[in-house]
Amino acid sequence: MALSADDRIADIVTARSRLPHVRRFLNGAPASRVVGLTLLALVLAFLSVYPLSMLLYGSLHSTPPGVAGVFTLDGYRDIASQQNLLTLLNTVGIALAKTIPSLILAVLLAWILARTDTPFRGTLEVLVTLPFFIPPILTAMAWGMLGNPQVGLLNQLYQWITGSTASPINVYSYGGVVWHMMQYSVPFLFLLIVDAFRAMDPSLEEAARMCGATRLRTFYTVTLQLMLPALTGAAILSFIRGIENFESPLFFGSPAGIHVITTDIYDSINQRSPPQYQYATAISFVIMALMFLIILMQWRILRGRSFQTVTGKGYSPAVMKLGRWRWATFAFCALFFAVTVVLPVSQLLIGSFFKFFGFYEWEMLTLEHYQAVAGSSEFWRAFGNTMLLGLVGATLTMLLGGIVAYVSVRTKWRGRRLIDAMAWLPWMMPGIVLGVGFLWGFALLPHAIPIYGTIWALLLAYISLGTPLSVRVMSSAYGQLSYDLEECSRVHGAGWLQTMWRIMIALVWPSFAVGWVLIFFGIMRELSASVLLYSVGSEVLSVVLLKLWANGSAEQVSVIGLIMMAMVIVFRWVQLRVIKRWIGAL
Amino acid sequence: MSNVVLEKVSRKFGEFAAVNEIDLRVAEGEFVTLLGPSGCGKTTTLRMVAGLEQNTSGRISLGNEVVSDAASGVFVPSERRRLGMVFQSYAIWPHMTVFENVAYPLRVRRRPLAEIRDLVSRSLRLVEMEGFSERPAPALSGGQQQRVAIARALVFEPKVLLLDEPLSNLDAKLRLQMGDEFRAIQRRLGMTTLYVTHDQSEAMALSDRVVVMDWGRIQQVGAPEDIYRYPANRTVAGFFGNPNLLDASVEACARLEGGRVQLDVVGHGWQGRCEAATEVQPGQTVTVMVRPEDIRIAPAGTDKDGLRWSGRIAHTIFRGPTRSIVVEIEDGRLNVDAPAFGGYSVGDNVTVVVPRHAAWAVG
Ligand SMILES: Nc1ncnc2c1ncn2[C@@H]1O[C@H](COP(=O)(O)OP(=O)(O)O)[C@@H](O)[C@H]1O
Ligand SMILES: [Mg+2]
Repeated sequence: MALSADDRIADIVTARSRLPHVRRFLNGAPASRVVGLTLLALVLAFLSVYPLSMLLYGSLHSTPPGVAGVFTLDGYRDIASQQNLLTLLNTVGIALAKTIPSLILAVLLAWILARTDTPFRGTLEVLVTLPFFIPPILTAMAWGMLGNPQVGLLNQLYQWITGSTASPINVYSYGGVVWHMMQYSVPFLFLLIVDAFRAMDPSLEEAARMCGATRLRTFYTVTLQLMLPALTGAAILSFIRGIENFESPLFFGSPAGIHVITTDIYDSINQRSPPQYQYATAISFVIMALMFLIILMQWRILRGRSFQTVTGKGYSPAVMKLGRWRWATFAFCALFFAVTVVLPVSQLLIGSFFKFFGFYEWEMLTLEHYQAVAGSSEFWRAFGNTMLLGLVGATLTMLLGGIVAYVSVRTKWRGRRLIDAMAWLPWMMPGIVLGVGFLWGFALLPHAIPIYGTIWALLLAYISLGTPLSVRVMSSAYGQLSYDLEECSRVHGAGWLQTMWRIMIALVWPSFAVGWVLIFFGIMRELSASVLLYSVGSEVLSVVLLKLWANGSAEQVSVIGLIMMAMVIVFRWVQLRVIKRWIGAL
Repeated sequence: MSNVVLEKVSRKFGEFAAVNEIDLRVAEGEFVTLLGPSGCGKTTTLRMVAGLEQNTSGRISLGNEVVSDAASGVFVPSERRRLGMVFQSYAIWPHMTVFENVAYPLRVRRRPLAEIRDLVSRSLRLVEMEGFSERPAPALSGGQQQRVAIARALVFEPKVLLLDEPLSNLDAKLRLQMGDEFRAIQRRLGMTTLYVTHDQSEAMALSDRVVVMDWGRIQQVGAPEDIYRYPANRTVAGFFGNPNLLDASVEACARLEGGRVQLDVVGHGWQGRCEAATEVQPGQTVTVMVRPEDIRIAPAGTDKDGLRWSGRIAHTIFRGPTRSIVVEIEDGRLNVDAPAFGGYSVGDNVTVVVPRHAAWAVG
């Protein structure tokens, strides 16, 4: 077919204009940026894609990591058992059973603290959110002592009061697992939703009142409806955390024969001999598929529904005058704090001063457990490791998160979506699953890279686990900054680096500090990945606690628990006092 | 000599051309305003000059230097274009004091401290903010932030100043005052200025020349008076004020002195004379623009050389200095600005006239 003259001219024109296009892309992406992005992508791939693909590899591999074997589907075949159906039902059921009452409690607390004139609301808010920052292993052990069916303090108290010999409380049960999870879900949900309650535009409610709706009707038809997207989103997150939870079922479920997926993974590696790596890895995929389904569901439910129904600062929402009832609401919040913090801490205190757990008599008072802990080189090593990993891990995680968030939020660079997706990937992997993935990953690395069994293994796992959170914190920090602030700096003569340093970093570092403390808390409490990846010399506090607990040294556990608790309170205090003031100064 | 030159500059977002083949020369010391409805490409044009957006075709020069040429791949980044810019949001950095904000362009250029102090205080004096230099930036009102943004843009005496709707976040009164003040400063310092606004009265009050844009294209360039009086097309005519636009067909066409032409036109139930920019063949249709303030309510039988309509007053609106009168004529409705207390009442039959030179036909 002959080309017309017009076609040929058009061809020439497009050919000419294609060339500058290529040049512009190269021009727009200087070599240093390409190298930088590639490095970033490699780091993220090692932290997320690598353990994930190692999981797949491991689930098909017949022998433990690092041992020659063949590829089989045995792992997946072993999953399909009746026992595992129960495990799956347990996992989902427990997560549901704890989410619903937690949500109701959290809404109640948020309403009380944000919308009523309950006395000492500021202090109460700090107190009811404190449980969230306490490592679950501490409260788990404390409740294990409190609610022990034989010698638990609560049962002793009951027997002492009623004179009966029955022990009504047994934490080693479904109820115990759910109860322990709730202590974390309530403050977690509270933190997620309280701002929505607080930032609500009062005129929306006032309009309903003006239309003749009663207070209660207004609450149902307006307040709650507006909160619904925020509540749904928070509930789904809480449900996901319930499925990922490891400590509660480990401490209260396993002794009673109640198994969930996370503890099943743990048991098949740590409690069976020989360890069933292939099975553990295959079942890890089951939980990830479950997570994936929930996340899909979350997207469907929340699509098009904004969390922002209640934006806008500067409102002072109508505070309901409760009259005499305000002392009732005060008592409710105080009771929550007493049960979730005071009670376990008291148990740790008592436990640490008596010779034997469960025998509380005057002549049993002793300081020997404190001496034992202070003289234990294992404790000091774990303490040092935890602090080192916390400081270094939190810093590196936040740096990585800050860079990823910048690239994905503030630039239009090619590949930014890939980077964002890779950083988000660990979000789908519970700590124990990531632990299994890294177990395979580190074992299969060449010997020239000795990570396996060192403290660096833990560091890398912590960074991977923390990155989704740090990216989220930093993204929202960048998101609040208008592009003009950055561009204005460029126009007025500052280069990219200078702009980063003088404007962006200077503006987002308060968020960096807040995120840093959150990640630090996360590392201090981390148990499920640590317990798979530690080895002699690289134990962290949570692992030492678990080992002591398994050996029945509840007394030393109490001492170490108290020390960790003190650290939590100090860090939380620093976070609230110092960082809030810095932010306030901005 | 031109200080800012745009030659066939376009910016495409995918298939959509936000800015389409724009040609513009801004002379040294000139105040040029880009005017147009929201979304017409003003900001994009300004950002291409600033180097914050890359043009997909065409060439941009500042002074004698080509700063961006899509064909040869030249692109000078923002920070090396030596511009001053005022953003619509002001972009005052919240973590710095007023002094530090203004000093920033000097600091990044590593000027000596004494010089910085000197220039910053001079710049702050210019915008009457010298008492505020130690204030943290968030503690400023909108008008004060705007002054700081101007001081920062002026502090290192850039050759070219860019402003993107700098007054749009201020209330009406402050807007007038700041506009006048800024124009006075600009005259005094003699900077070439490219100013973006969607407010026609602002554009007319401030500019040496106005560039009217729509759909990414330049519709007309000219002095505010010329654009107001002799719009190039219906779009531009409709953009300024609230003119009457009437369709008519041309009967005859004659040249006038000074390049314009005189048209004899016939509309629906009226006829008369008007002016136009270029010759029109008899028989073609044109749109005649008549501004309300040029129409007079007249006793019958005056003014042969122009346009006249008879009709009935449909309603009147008191506006303070004037009274808007809507006259119902055969062809529709005419808006007329009459003296506020002229004694007109609804239902009166009136004749309205416009002199020839105030009736302008566009294609
Ligand atoms: N980054 C972008 N991507 C896609 N479209 C854009 C982008 N920036 C601007 N546009 C579009 O280009 C057009 C012109 O925008 P702009 O120059 O901001 O208009 P204005 O005259 O109001 O300042 C608008 O239709 C806008 O939607
Ligand atoms: Mg704009």
